[in-house]
Amino acid sequence: MKNIIEINHLSKSFGEVKAVQDLSFRVKEGELFAFLGVNGAGKSTTINIMCAQLTKDSGSIVIDGYDLDKNVDGIKRELGVVFQNSVLDGALSVYDNLQSRAALYGIIGDEFKSRLDELSELLDFKDLLKRSVSKLSGGQRRRIDIARALLHKPKILVLDEPTTGLDPQTRKILWNVISDLRKNEQMTVFLTTHYMEEAAEADFVVIIDSGKISAEGTPLELKNTYTGDFITVYGIDEATVKKFGYEYEPIRDAYRVSVPNTKAATELIIKYPEVFVDYEITKGKMDDVFLSVTGKKLVGGTEK
Amino acid sequence: MKVVLTLIKRNIKLFFKDKGMFLTALITPAILLVLYATFLSNVYRDSFTMNFPQGIPVPEDIIDGLVGGQLISSLLAVSCITVAFCSNFLMVQDRANGTIKDLRIAPISTSVLSLSYYVATLISTLLICFTATVICLVYVAAIGWYMSALDVLLLFLDVIILVFFGTALSSLINFFLSTQGQISAVGTIISAGYGFICGAYMPISSFSDGLQKVISFLPGTYGTSLFRNHAMDGALKALGEEGIPNEVIDGLRDAVDCNIYFFDTKVEPYVMYIVLFVSIALLVGGYILLNVFRKKDK
Repeated sequence: MKNIIEINHLSKSFGEVKAVQDLSFRVKEGELFAFLGVNGAGKSTTINIMCAQLTKDSGSIVIDGYDLDKNVDGIKRELGVVFQNSVLDGALSVYDNLQSRAALYGIIGDEFKSRLDELSELLDFKDLLKRSVSKLSGGQRRRIDIARALLHKPKILVLDEPTTGLDPQTRKILWNVISDLRKNEQMTVFLTTHYMEEAAEADFVVIIDSGKISAEGTPLELKNTYTGDFITVYGIDEATVKKFGYEYEPIRDAYRVSVPNTKAATELIIKYPEVFVDYEITKGKMDDVFLSVTGKKLVGGTEK
Repeated sequence: MKVVLTLIKRNIKLFFKDKGMFLTALITPAILLVLYATFLSNVYRDSFTMNFPQGIPVPEDIIDGLVGGQLISSLLAVSCITVAFCSNFLMVQDRANGTIKDLRIAPISTSVLSLSYYVATLISTLLICFTATVICLVYVAAIGWYMSALDVLLLFLDVIILVFFGTALSSLINFFLSTQGQISAVGTIISAGYGFICGAYMPISSFSDGLQKVISFLPGTYGTSLFRNHAMDGALKALGEEGIPNEVIDGLRDAVDCNIYFFDTKVEPYVMYIVLFVSIALLVGGYILLNVFRKKDK
């Protein structure tokens, strides 16, 4: 897979505040890339620079072969962006909104109608076309936001906290759509999110903190590097758990033992086969990775 | 070109569908109507009749024509500017609510966006002001019609020129605004203040000498004067035909701002046009320069 986004030594400051410091990473074509960080970590600054909404102080950005310094319009045609907050015109109908945005890419007349048919089918909003955007529910509006981002068939879909504030059902629907797009159109998805379970589905994760990369890798690599495994053992007493020599915590009907890795878990099971009758081994979660890397919990984007 | 046209259509639709913006645009003309309905018309009627020499009967409909002419000239002078400002607030609103990011993310230049705001404001304001002009003319026809066909044509020309001026002025000022609070502040100042400084609420001639001199530097003043000339000239001429001496009529022309003086020099109508055209050119030039030198970062 080729690199569709290449960012090298990107830096950006606002006065004394260094928003992004020497940031370098790659995104491969067709992958789901998760970009994590608390509010103010530099995620939005990076996205805004990628989309040519902000100038950079130094570094280079190449998207699908287009250099940001040389061909901004080329890059803009490759990017579809779903902003954190819906930025459509509330007073206008869904149709009017999509028509005006499509025209920005030269998509008009029959070409627009045909694309609208495809998108309204894909995102299931045919019955919403005449309704004012201000009268849509959060989930409906998000679907229209995604449709707007996809109007010009971009190669990369940038999702800036797309599911924040949505109910679980709507989140699931949106992720199914995004998943279909990736499969059917080989679309690359660049995601920032506060939901760690969404980041866990990513092919590659970059965690930034104070404008710098703190950790990067696949979710498995990150979990293996920054968190241990957990063995949940059922039907044993505390005295037995103490013998293991690892940290543990009692849960409703079992004990959860923290081990450094899967190898240590295996060794423990081999050592005490009579104890491990009913048990399960789980990897640490992305929340644990984030906490371990940044020392902060990601709860709704705020630092805890 | 199609991109610009689509954006213009979007901007116009948004202005007329956003009841808040649309109604705000009509506040100042509404205030003016209330003022006239409650007391200003009587004040002016009295001030006109007080100046007429005793023994010369003046038909009531000429006085009505004068009062009506003053009302519609004030209304139009104010509306062309305040409606343009409110319509152009869309540019600021797009910045305030982040919509501008969604527009700029597309491969179009900022000059296309700026042009679309300018033309949309121009069209929206012209639509409203032409409608207002027609209503005003119907009103004048009902109370006392003394306008010639040329006066009517020139009145429409004045509307076009003042709308161009209002759009250019609002584009330049709104360029620096980016929040809802600033929209409210500027909207309030323009709505409340412009009616006074352009002489719509009270004639400029009734202000102090110092203030009159300051106001004579403002191009909008000459717009009001053009409206006054074209809305009231017929009725003023009719006064002459009724035997009112020319000195009295000239005094009235001074009193209602048909005659405007730059210091002590009377400004002829053609000079008023030149002042307005030059002002529009300067304001549009300034707006273009601001867009050219706009920095991406704040």
